[in-house]
Amino acid sequence: MNILRVPFIGAFLRWRHARLVLQLLLLLAAIAVVLHGLLGPQLAARNLATVLTSIHWRGFLIIAIVAAGNLFCTACPMVLARDLSRRAVHPALRWPRLLRGKWLGLGLLVAVLFAYELFDLWSQPRATAWLVIGYFALAIVVDTMFAGASFCKHVCPIGQFNFTASTMSPAELRIVDRETCQTCRTSDCIKGRSDPARPATVIQRGCELGLFLPSKVGNIDCTMCLDCVQACPHDNIALAARTPGIELLDQARRSGIGRLGRRADLAALAVVFTFAALVSAFAMTSPAYIVERRLAAVLGATSEWPVLAMLFILGLVVIPAALLTAASAIARTAVEGRRSIAATTIAYAYALIPIGLGIWVAHYGFHLLTGVLTIVPVAQSAAIDAFGRALLGGPFWTWVGVQPGAVFPLQLGCIVLGTAGSLGLVHAISERDEPSRAVLAAAPWHVVVLLIAITALWILSQPMELRTTGVLG
Amino acid sequence: MAQRGGTRGLTAALVCVIGFGITGCGRTAPAASVHVSWRLEPSPPIVGTPIVAHLTLRDADNQPVNGARLRLEGVMSHPGMAPVVAAVAERGNGDYEAPLQFTMAGDWILIVTGELADGRPIAQQIEINGVRPAS
Repeated sequence: MNILRVPFIGAFLRWRHARLVLQLLLLLAAIAVVLHGLLGPQLAARNLATVLTSIHWRGFLIIAIVAAGNLFCTACPMVLARDLSRRAVHPALRWPRLLRGKWLGLGLLVAVLFAYELFDLWSQPRATAWLVIGYFALAIVVDTMFAGASFCKHVCPIGQFNFTASTMSPAELRIVDRETCQTCRTSDCIKGRSDPARPATVIQRGCELGLFLPSKVGNIDCTMCLDCVQACPHDNIALAARTPGIELLDQARRSGIGRLGRRADLAALAVVFTFAALVSAFAMTSPAYIVERRLAAVLGATSEWPVLAMLFILGLVVIPAALLTAASAIARTAVEGRRSIAATTIAYAYALIPIGLGIWVAHYGFHLLTGVLTIVPVAQSAAIDAFGRALLGGPFWTWVGVQPGAVFPLQLGCIVLGTAGSLGLVHAISERDEPSRAVLAAAPWHVVVLLIAITALWILSQPMELRTTGVLG
Repeated sequence: MAQRGGTRGLTAALVCVIGFGITGCGRTAPAASVHVSWRLEPSPPIVGTPIVAHLTLRDADNQPVNGARLRLEGVMSHPGMAPVVAAVAERGNGDYEAPLQFTMAGDWILIVTGELADGRPIAQQIEINGVRPAS
């Protein structure tokens, strides 16, 4: 099914200004976040900065990815800001070869998650506002220096998260008819289109992330900006429905990416994506504080950062490395395989994405559902802050959302679906790589997936504890 | 062309929203001369266990402030969590009481709002760190 042909939705998506409209909406939200974060009450529950980002933006982002695709990259207001900046400053440099790949973005993703926990950003409207300003500034600086979508492809931590998660989306941009592409002589989908009278003037961008549609596979690095759809002179690009996760089995060389099996950085991103989901959810439970207190005692720490750093190193490096290396080694021994442990780990790492996504959806979905209505009283209160009058009515502070207990079955469903997806992918990878001994090859990885799932269920069943005072406070 | 239209829209939006920000602050300033002290009973509070918040209001001369109409609301340090609201009863000699029940472990902020007997508004935030989970 081509979603671009669906009445109304398709017409909107194919409209030349669709992305701009979506970007303006998110830009307005970002401006509201910054202004209220800097000038409004410094009370997380009463400020648009913390409510919109921690409850609504994260929740809708992850649900949109599961339901449709990487829509928040489509509507990214930072790209709009950098487009405006590029009217004044044209980028002259190419992104350094040394920094290509996902390592920088992965490091920044971990840094943002670490900062979120260390500085309790969910409770800090002003800090949240500055973080948003920092994101915009970084996007503008990077993309006015470097050509293409360097910020999106190599830097943006949110983008790397979205690219990873959107491998499980039910839709992707792809060509309709291969023969049409074979006869195409312009390659507008990647080169874009210039004004014939003034060749220096680009009238339609091609893919800024270097994805050439005829050899594009899946959603990695695709911001769903729809530039390719606008650029293609043959109307040969579809937003097509597909089986979520199917791209993770494709070993073909893909445009802008290469082969997944040779991308240790992408595999590391998949692993961190999955284990960070556990760490992030665990950090909000009562047992996390017991663990942190014990770690603080062991380390003799007098501040929180060494304790948190140790938790992150354990959760995102040591435990995953031990688990995955062990699984690879056992599988390799069991099937008497010749592939290296590193290559085996890279091959199977992508199979963790579904369970990782399930945990993120369970976590962010919880906050969205239990706090979805809080935007109403906070917006009402913001209107009072701004105008001194209750233009939107008196704040309905009792408007919150679904009772936390009612969300647990849905969280359970997310974990079960994610587990099923990961188990299925593990099996499919084994069938692909070790067809004669697929069950043996898959067994250690099935155990890894089940361990992650059990840990996730244990975390979600723990009493929540939301603290800003840290382990030592 | 699209981007020109976008620029105009963006400019309008910026002017609009910045206008919201700088025309605000219309709320009446609270009575700064009144000091609110507090204690919880039992302490530390435990999730699901009824507690009583004792508030004591004193003026600049340390004299009891009677006749205030107060409202107590507890919010978590994390957004999106259900607040707890309590009716505040006056007990005389500047003392007020509010029955409360925290619904989640962690850090809470109690917001005391209301009016003094002379009509001046009063607002105070009280940080309650480390509400314990029910065992």
